This record gives sequence, structure tokens and C-alpha cells, in this order.
Amino acid sequence: MSSFGFGLITAAVLAIATVGFTMQFAVTNVLNLAYGSIMINSAFVAYYVNQHGVTAWVALLGGVATGAIASWLLNRFIYTPFQRRNLAPITVVIVSLGVDLVGTFGLQAIVGGGYVSFNQSQGHEYHILGMLLSGLQLVIFGICAVVLVGIHWLLKYTRLGKAMRATSANRNLARNSGVKTQFIISTTWIISGALCGLAGTVFAMNAGVFEATSAQLYIVLLLAAMFLGGPGEPYGAMFGAVTIGLATEVSAAYINPEYKDVVAFLVLIAMLTFRPFGIFGSEKTN
Amino acid sequence: MGPYGFYIAIILVYAAVDSMACLGLNLQFGVAGISNFGYIIFQSVGAYTAAVLSMPNAKTTNGGFQQYVLGWHLPWPFPWIGAAIAGGLLAIPFVFIVGKRLRGDFAAVGLLVSAVLLNLLVKNYVPFLNGDAGISLVPSPFQHYWNPQSLGYQFAYGGVAIVLTIGVYFLVKRVTESPYGRSLRAMRDNDIVADSLGKDLRMQRTSVLILGGAIAGLSGAILVGFITLWAPGAWGYAETIVLFAAIIIGGAGNHKGAILGAVLVPVGFEEITRYLPPLGNPELVPALEWVSIGLLIVLFLWFRPNGILPEKRRILSGNKNAAPPEPTKGDAESDALIKIGNVQELNFHELLHLSEPVNDNRVILSTNGLTKSFNGVTVVSDVSIAIHQGRLTGMIGPNGAGKSTTLAMLAGTLPSSGGQIFYEGTDITSMPSHKRAQAGIVRTFQLASEFKKLTVLENLVSAIPHQSGDTFLGSLRGKRYWGRQDHDHIERAKEVLEGFGLSQYADVYAGGLSGGQRRLVEIMRALLAEPKILLLDEPMAGVHPNLAHKIGDQLTNLCEGGMTIVMVEHELAIMDAFCDPVIVLAEGQVLAQGTMAELRQKEEVVEAYLVG
Repeated sequence: MSSFGFGLITAAVLAIATVGFTMQFAVTNVLNLAYGSIMINSAFVAYYVNQHGVTAWVALLGGVATGAIASWLLNRFIYTPFQRRNLAPITVVIVSLGVDLVGTFGLQAIVGGGYVSFNQSQGHEYHILGMLLSGLQLVIFGICAVVLVGIHWLLKYTRLGKAMRATSANRNLARNSGVKTQFIISTTWIISGALCGLAGTVFAMNAGVFEATSAQLYIVLLLAAMFLGGPGEPYGAMFGAVTIGLATEVSAAYINPEYKDVVAFLVLIAMLTFRPFGIFGSEKTN
Repeated sequence: MGPYGFYIAIILVYAAVDSMACLGLNLQFGVAGISNFGYIIFQSVGAYTAAVLSMPNAKTTNGGFQQYVLGWHLPWPFPWIGAAIAGGLLAIPFVFIVGKRLRGDFAAVGLLVSAVLLNLLVKNYVPFLNGDAGISLVPSPFQHYWNPQSLGYQFAYGGVAIVLTIGVYFLVKRVTESPYGRSLRAMRDNDIVADSLGKDLRMQRTSVLILGGAIAGLSGAILVGFITLWAPGAWGYAETIVLFAAIIIGGAGNHKGAILGAVLVPVGFEEITRYLPPLGNPELVPALEWVSIGLLIVLFLWFRPNGILPEKRRILSGNKNAAPPEPTKGDAESDALIKIGNVQELNFHELLHLSEPVNDNRVILSTNGLTKSFNGVTVVSDVSIAIHQGRLTGMIGPNGAGKSTTLAMLAGTLPSSGGQIFYEGTDITSMPSHKRAQAGIVRTFQLASEFKKLTVLENLVSAIPHQSGDTFLGSLRGKRYWGRQDHDHIERAKEVLEGFGLSQYADVYAGGLSGGQRRLVEIMRALLAEPKILLLDEPMAGVHPNLAHKIGDQLTNLCEGGMTIVMVEHELAIMDAFCDPVIVLAEGQVLAQGTMAELRQKEEVVEAYLVG
């Protein structure tokens, strides 16, 4: 049961991260493989704010802001100009890999290779339904749940959310129908970047200790969760993240924990091979 | 030589190994357009295979301090041959990801993730290949006869590595410069169009994945025989990015560029950082190395996307000294100036290998209840039509009527959701599109579909069926095998090009032409595919009316000569002038068919389309 508890926290963090990742893909058609590097950079900004005596929960906002700003800059000054050149989609993916190297190892060059941890207590331990969870984990879970509900509300009930969905479904049609697509794309990158920064910071808090390359393979979990639910589908991303998060942590209880991510890998490769449009999705019209 | 001797020998080996690996990747990425983000695992499987084939049994050696499988203790060159075979075999499972109609970037991610997964498994499962610690004490070839630590041995090793790399260079060049290589580059530029012209994409990708994998495997074997150890740390997924950086910087598609990139990036970086004084934290130098590689990728793709040595333009016309005309922009004015030269005099029968004109008006292509739906929305519903041989059949209808979708299903570009398609009486509903093209059903596309980085002449020649050099094995047999036939094909394409008045553009990249010129290239290319049925999707869209009428005249001539044409078109004047019969589609269904004169009498047609 305790692995189920860990699984819930992992899943909640992964859900936040995947929703951001899939929203970026939805509106700009970019597989942003530099996502993990922005996550860890956000976590380090929050960590430095925290080191200056600010409580971790306030410092978290620093992480969120970093993610939002960095993602917006990345899209505005790197991905968009490349896309305007009408190159094969793979070019932008290769660019994102280059950016990932710069982001991750640029951070490592600055902060060094050591592990760090937030100055924050783990809180009391609680037994809930047979799961042993720390206060910290409960707060993380709570934040993630609130944010996911917020995203749901945004997409379903606000003009902005509807414009975002319209833009992702068909950018030209949305523009011709009066949606300011350029503004919507920027806003989406800011919101998804904020999710990225939030996910990175709580990921680091949950991990306890972390270093510059800690999120390097997180992209695999993100991709697995995204493809499971269907690329570009925020609700699919939530479903995929919960499935992958629980599957990896629960399987860790039964097999060598070193192999826990193998489940995510296998899911991803199976999805790409058999259903690249997700479990619920079907082929797009174009 | 002094103390530098060993150093030079080491550099030679590294340069050869990295160049060889880059040549294999360049064949896949630069020539065939397959973004193999997992390339490093092919090198690694070669290194491990060579290691365990050359090493003695693990349990009886050195007190069994390391664990690994096999341990066959084979003499050179068997471990190296085994490594190349293993690299080729490893490609086979990946065909399921790359061979499918999957977006290139999705397939690339699948390969990347596979590389990470394999690394994780090998690292954690010690009995297989000694886990994270890796395998050490790998025997060097002939080490009992010649001391591997001696300068002579190391230079000889470097020499052998270089000779093999030169061999690989000529091998990939032979494939690239053959008609098969032309098909690979066509697939790189536009895979759906290549498919519609009869290229078997799965076969092409499989062959390149296997050949590139075998080359990578051999490079791994050479490396491990020299450094005598191999561990998961040496083949993290990021090592593939280094090789990609090398190719992007050197020049994708240019094999000399791949070698240049290999010398500059993997070799150059290793060597520069070796001499940097220790600064800052211990991770600083390696971290900055990665940062630089990332920056180089982004900067090169922005400022010099074709690399230092860009892919060479192939001059097929034989007119090497002619200055190519300025590339034209896509404006209607320049199109109006295109003169379709002596096209009347073209002997299409001979040029296009048409059968003797038969105009028996039999039903050559028909559908029965053809249906297509996307996400539960039905776009084409229960369409049953019959196309008669030797006729120019038009297909009209308002936007969204399902014209292009129907055409795509006839050509096999889109699978149908229901109903059947019959060609000469045979059910071809589930026949893949390249097979249909080979059987004589060739289509064109509504959007620009030229192979951008093939010259106009290459675009045309690439479509000609039954080229002896357009198979993997044919390409390996070399120019002596396919050269004469290819020369004939080029002459044929030149004649067609001249007939259409575009000779001066023979050696220009098709991507640089004007809209109307590209339309013509596309039509000529489809004709050279020797179709029995030609399916044209809005061939006149964006074409100057004068030119459109000239094209229409040619299409009529072709039909008189026995070809069958189906044309989707918006322009009613074109329909009036050339098409009989005309099929009207509306909301995915056949509304009416007949001559234009008949259709104008029908109220429902006029309401649905002609007036609106």
C-alpha cells in the first residue's frame, strides 16, 4: 500500500508536468524535449530563493515564474523563428535537444555536480487508508490536485481556455474565426511553462535531494504519459500520468526498483508502435 | 616520432571510428531522412558483440571477476564481422517503429527512448554484459603475436581502421549516388509523395536502417578492440546527439561533410578538452563541452542549416557549365510566360511506354459504397462510381464535398473505412499505395509535392518504374550495372522536359521553382511513372489560365492515346472544356454525373454547386 501512496504523489507531479508538455505540443506542434531542463532550472531557482531564508512554499513561486518566463522565451525566440522557416518538424525537435543540453549542462556548469536539498521539514507522518505519507507529500498532492482542477476549469469554462482548444484543433481556422492565435500561443506557453516550473520544483522537493541532471530522464515519463493519453490532449495527459505514475511506483515494489521506469518505456514504445494517437484518440483528419 | 607517436595513433583510430559512425548515420539521416535518435545503441551492440566474441569464457577466466554471455574466444576478423551483423540485426525490431507511417519526430522519440531503455537494462542486469562496470580486458586482434602497446601495432591498427572507413565511404557513396539513393532522397523530401509514385518506404527504410546499423556495429568493434573496454557510460543517449551535431555541422547528405563533422566534433572536442587546465568544479569542463555541442546544433541549424559542406546538387543534364537560371518566385506572371514548347510533337507512346491506344471505354476503375470517416465524422459516404478507360473524368463539388478524400482512397494514400475499390476487375481496396502506383494508378497532390532538394530532372527520373538501380542490391552492384539504363531514363526525362518547355530548369532544385512550374514538374513526373490511370488533384489550382488550357489540351491528347484520367478541379471552365463525364460530389455523396451540359440542366446540381 505504501508504494501506492508514493505512486499517487509521483502521478500527481507527473500529471502537472505532462499537462504542460502536451499543451505546448497541442498549440505549436513541437515536441519540446528541453522540458526537463526547464523543470530542473526552475527547481534550482526555487532552491536559491529558499537558501536566502524564504520558506520553501514561497520559493516555489520563484520556480513557477522561472518556468513560465523561460518557456515563453524559448518559444518566442527559438522555436517560433525556426518554425517560420517551414522546416521539417524534426528540425525543431533536434533544436530542442540542443536547448536541453544547454539548459541542463549550463546549470551544471554554474551550480556544480553536487546534490542539494530544500531547507524544509518533511512534516508529520500520516496514515491514510493504509498509506504512510509525509506532510510534505500531502501538501504537494494538494497543490497538484488544486492546479489540475484549475486547468480543467480554465479549459472548459473560460474564453481563454476555449480559444486555446480552438487553436490547438486548427490554428488557421481559429485565426480566421477571430481568435488572436499569436496571443493565445504565447499565453499557452506561459501557463504551460508555469506548470513546468511548478512540476520541476515539487519534483525536486519530493525527491528530497536533487542535482542538475536529476530531471534528465524525466522526459521519458512525460512522453509515455502523453502518448498513452493521446498527444495534445490535456485530459489524456492526466489519465496517462496517473497510469504511468502508479504503474512505475507500484511495480517498484515487486521488481528491482532500478527497473521501475521500464514500465514507462515499454508503454511508450508500445503506444508509438500500435496507437500513436493515444488509447482513446483516433487518427487526425490531416 | 617521440612521445607524440602514440598520441597520433590514438587520434587516427578515433577519427576513423567516429567518421565511420557518422557515415552510417548520414546515410540514414542526411540521405534517407530517418532521424535515428538511438543510433548509438547500434555502435554499442557492435562493441559488445566484438568483445564477447573475442573474449574467452567468463567463468574460467581471471577467476570470473566479470560476467558476460558467449565468450567464444574467436580470432580476428570474426568478432568484427559478428559486430557488423549484430548491428544490422538490431535494426530489424526498429522497423516496426520507423517503417510505419509515423511522424518522423514521433519515430525519432521512439528510437531515443529505446536507446535509454537498453542502456538502463544493460546497466542494471549484471549477468548479461557485466552491468554498470562494463566489460574490460577485451583482447586486441593478434595480441599474442604483436604487442598492442607498441607504436607499430597502434599505427597498424589506425591504418586498418582508416582503410575500412574509406571502404565504408565508398559503400555509402555507391548507394547514395545510385537510382536507389535518389529514391531515398525523394523519401527524405516527401515520403507520402514517394509512396504514391511506387516507392516501397518500408523496404527503403529497412535497408538503410540495417546498412547504417551494420556500419555502426563495425565502428564499435574497431573501437572496443583498441580501448579494450566498454561500459554503459560510453553510450548514453546523448552520445547520439554528438553524432547528430557532427553531421549537421559537417553537412547532412554530404558524406565528405559527415567525415569533416566527425573530425571536428567528437574528435575535436575530446582533444581540446584534454588540454584545458582544471578549472572550477570537476564537472565544469565536461558540462561546458555539452553546452557547446547544444549551442553548435542550434546555431548551425539557424545560420548554416546545410552545414559546412552542403549536399552537392547533381547535374544530370550533362550540361555542367550552364549557369542555372535565377530561381523564380511563385507569381502568376512568370507562369503565363511558360511556353509549352513542342509538346505536340512529343511521342508520348514511346516516352511513357504507353501500351497501344485502346479506347474501348470499358470500366477500368470502380468503387462500391466507398466510405471514409475521421473521428466519427463521415466525409465520404457510400460513393459508387465507375471510371471508363480512355476518358478524362472530372470531379467537382463544393469545399468539403470529399473530392480529394475520394481521390486519396483511390490512390491508396488514405485507407477507406468501408466499401470496395476495383481496378480492372480486381479488388484493390487493401492494396498499399506504392503497389497501386506500380500497377498503374498514379496520383498528384493538391499541395506542392515536389521533392525540394532533388533537381527538376531528378524529380522526373525518380518516378520512372522498373529501374534496375532502384533496389538496394541493384545499387550495390554499381554504376556498371545500372548506368546505361539510367542514362536512357535521363534522356527520356529531358525530352519530356523539353516538350514542356522547362529545359533550362533541368538542374535547378525543384523547391526553387514558381507555383506553375512546380505543377508542371509534378504532372511530368506523374506521367513518367507510366500510369494507366492518372488521378489529378486540382492540377490547375494557382496556375495561370493560359497555362491551364495548354495543360488541358495535353491531358486530352493523352486520353486519346489510351490513358485514363480523373481530375478534381474547381474551375468550371476547365470542366466545360475538357472533362467528360463529370461527377458531382456534395457532402460526401455522388449527387449526379454526366456531361457538363447535362449537369447544368439538373436543378439539384445547380443549387448545390454551380450557383453557390
